[in-house]
Amino acid sequence: MDATRAAHDSAAIARARAEALVIEYQTKLARYVRRMVGDAEAALDLTQEVFLSAYRMLQAEPTRELHAGWLYRAATNAGISFLRRKKIVRMLPLDREIDRASWRVDERSAASVDLQNALARLAPEQSAALLLTSYAGYSSAEAAAILGTTADAVRQRVCRAMRILRNIMKEGVE
Amino acid sequence: MTRAECTLAEQRAGAIALGEASDGERESYRRHLTGCARCLLELGGEREIERIMTTVARARDDERWEPDLRPVFARRAVRRSLWAWAGALAAVIVLVAAWRVAEAPRPVPVHTISALETRSIAALGTQTAARREGRAESLVLGAKLLTASLSVSVDGRGKPVRCSIVKSSGSLALDESICRAALHPHTP
Repeated sequence: MDATRAAHDSAAIARARAEALVIEYQTKLARYVRRMVGDAEAALDLTQEVFLSAYRMLQAEPTRELHAGWLYRAATNAGISFLRRKKIVRMLPLDREIDRASWRVDERSAASVDLQNALARLAPEQSAALLLTSYAGYSSAEAAAILGTTADAVRQRVCRAMRILRNIMKEGVE
Repeated sequence: MTRAECTLAEQRAGAIALGEASDGERESYRRHLTGCARCLLELGGEREIERIMTTVARARDDERWEPDLRPVFARRAVRRSLWAWAGALAAVIVLVAAWRVAEAPRPVPVHTISALETRSIAALGTQTAARREGRAESLVLGAKLLTASLSVSVDGRGKPVRCSIVKSSGSLALDESICRAALHPHTP
């Protein structure tokens, strides 16, 4: 009986912790993933998967510490896998055209469109570096820990992303 | 300029973009640009970097999308839980079915007898004769674990009329005793 109650309590704790994570990070994480994959529906699915993974992990180990970095790492991996699958399915070079329906009218500013165009031309790892730092607010060292690389590599990826964005902004002006 | 110097300049430009560059790094980047026309053209100076990053910040601030994943998350969690229950139920059904199959009556030797106990052999004949079809029966014969198979044909009234050894026990005398017992079950 005690074992049953303990299992029930553990499940309740896991659920409460997972829900707290959803409440705190759902918007930031979904936006991050939407920028990365350029598709709101896919972003919702991938973000849900990330939270469900967190939930399952907490079910198995209710006292485990789950930081935002874990969520971003899982989201980044999910986004990269999604883009790779998409690329394989299409048998085309990476081409993330912007799904215009994914963006609300009030989000379609020049800056937003330029950024999305630039992200569409970047390798997923470069997008992730730019978004983790300038969007999610991580330092290059923190982003490096999430991406499993060095801070210098993150800075370099940010620089290359910036270069693409700069070219797109130039094209828009010309 | 060497490729390594340009790579270093890219890292410094990234640091400037993220607001992480020290004064020394900024100075080093400026020096690099004065000697590298390519980086100057492609990356631009510090003010250009800040302008680009302002675009990123503006795009971030423009976002209004606030999805609420809680209901969807709860539904999916419940659905997964239901699937888990359904899986567990299916596993139980399979286990019960497997157990019932394992527990189903299996063909067993008609009788276990001592090779030398004629009475037991006679009893064996009784059991065999009750069957209204000719068939072979496997026997375990006493402690020696000898086995023999015999075929007993019965007439329409169930009376054994013919016996033949399908697989010998290894002893001709014993084979004959078995058949005799099968054909004349009540003879000691």
